[in-house]
Amino acid sequence: MTTRSAMRQLTDIAYPALVFIVSIVVWEFGARAGWFPPYVLPAPSSIVARIGDTADLMLHHAVVTSFEIILGFVLAVIIGVALAAMIVFVRTIDKAFYPWLVVVQVIPKVALGPLLVVWLGFGFLPKVLLAFLLSFFPVMISAMVGLRSIDNDSMFLLRSMGADPIKIFRHLQLPSALPGIFGSMKVAITLATVGAIVGEFIGANEGLGYVLVTANGVLDTTLIFVALTWISVLALVFYGAIAMLENMSVHWHVSHRSRAAQALA
Amino acid sequence: MTVQRESAPTPAGTDNQIEVKGLNKRFGAGDGVVALENVDLTVRRGEFVAILGPSGCGKSTLLMITAGLTPPSSGSVVVDGKKVTRPLTEVGIVFQRDLLFDWRTVLGNVMLQADIRGLDRNASREKALQLLETVGLRGFADRRPWELSGGMRQRVALCRALLHDASLLLLDEPFGALDAITRDQINLDLQKIWLATGCTAVMVTHSISEAIFLADRVVVMSPRPGRIAQDVTIDLPRPRTVEMRDTPRFAAYQATLRDAIMH
Ligand SMILES: Nc1ncnc2c1ncn2[C@@H]1O[C@H](COP(=O)(O)OP(=O)(O)OP(=O)(O)O)[C@@H](O)[C@H]1O
Ligand SMILES: [Mg+2]
Repeated sequence: MTTRSAMRQLTDIAYPALVFIVSIVVWEFGARAGWFPPYVLPAPSSIVARIGDTADLMLHHAVVTSFEIILGFVLAVIIGVALAAMIVFVRTIDKAFYPWLVVVQVIPKVALGPLLVVWLGFGFLPKVLLAFLLSFFPVMISAMVGLRSIDNDSMFLLRSMGADPIKIFRHLQLPSALPGIFGSMKVAITLATVGAIVGEFIGANEGLGYVLVTANGVLDTTLIFVALTWISVLALVFYGAIAMLENMSVHWHVSHRSRAAQALA
Repeated sequence: MTVQRESAPTPAGTDNQIEVKGLNKRFGAGDGVVALENVDLTVRRGEFVAILGPSGCGKSTLLMITAGLTPPSSGSVVVDGKKVTRPLTEVGIVFQRDLLFDWRTVLGNVMLQADIRGLDRNASREKALQLLETVGLRGFADRRPWELSGGMRQRVALCRALLHDASLLLLDEPFGALDAITRDQINLDLQKIWLATGCTAVMVTHSISEAIFLADRVVVMSPRPGRIAQDVTIDLPRPRTVEMRDTPRFAAYQATLRDAIMH
């Protein structure tokens, strides 16, 4: 590695870190100087202290919310891709269901939250369902587009090898749809997080959304920030996991090549 | 190398692999494009036929219809005595575009043929590596298609078409992106493979000398709508050598075909 690229790697980390540190310092200083009251914006030091104090309890809530997000998201990916495949392969399903899926998509799913609570109670299920409902559509649409966008010649190539529809799906359609599906999964994981948190807002007795609502009720701004920190960390971890999975499975795609080439340079 | 098949002396009409009769192809309804008009073409088993013709005259369309991948508007194609109504599978095709999959390595792309057909993986792998060796790409087996030049990609596509020893090869301008020297070498290799396997080959090309060098017969198509304008039998001994190109007979064929294309 040359000194110049080492320098660049250093600044890649140093610059954003510098921005972060300066903001925190200004924030801390402002809080101590009394620029704003603590119930509006608590000092970073008190938030950090509180994170430490509440770690055990918050970990429990974070685990609950994580399960809701992961389950909703995984369902969204599986059902989204499966439904897309069915719509692409079976014309009747395409005709009968697709218009309704679009109609359902137009309804703001968050508005269904109260209904889900009425139907399914205050437990795990309505949150998972909300996370699923919010995140499944983008996955289905990208999977559909990907499975359909196969050029004629590639299809001819496989037919001349005697491929049946299942082999065409496995060796041609799915691999070409994969980059798009991964792109939509990054959107979907964010939406699933929104779904789970909103579900907890509406009615829950555990989870990070529940912590937010109760902290809000007693004007415990510091606790709100603690919960927000946990949520942000979760979101980052999930996003990172998907990005990693993407790197592993579609490294061959155009969108990943320049980075691979850079890494070699 | 055996040269027994020199001039393949099968009596006409008894052993035809391809019989195209009264073939018409029109794209689009009403006043759409007429790509092929009343094409008749017979290819004997084991024969090497080259198709020459201006761009857009329907050469690719003719190959696709022969392979059962595109339906004709009227007329019929009979392959191995059976009317073609669905995609042929006893065939190796090199399409005009190389159609390599980015999610497979170079070797993986050749192996696609084996994976889809369910051929024995180990034996196929050996064969694939051998073919890549023949076209000078053994060292690129583990690379990705996008790391290859256009000519290298075409050679990979050729290996893929040859992997399963098909009895019929349909080649659509397989060497268009190759430099003259590589092209000569590949032409020699293709002749060797064709002589060794005894397969039938139909190859579209824009190069008159490539057509003469490889083919038993050169078919010249007219500008759109494509019709068969001339059918020239190339009576040169096998195996053909690069030096034969400097002979007066080769030059005479060249002149004949150039004339045919001009008209
Ligand atoms: N799928 C299609 N839809 C509509 N028109 C088509 C289609 N495929 C081919 N054509 C038309 O049919 C004609 C013949 O096309 P074809 O690809 O067979 O030509 P070609 O002889 O192979 O040309 P080239 O040497 O440039 O490859 C062209 O005019 C083209 O516009
Ligand atoms: Mg063509």
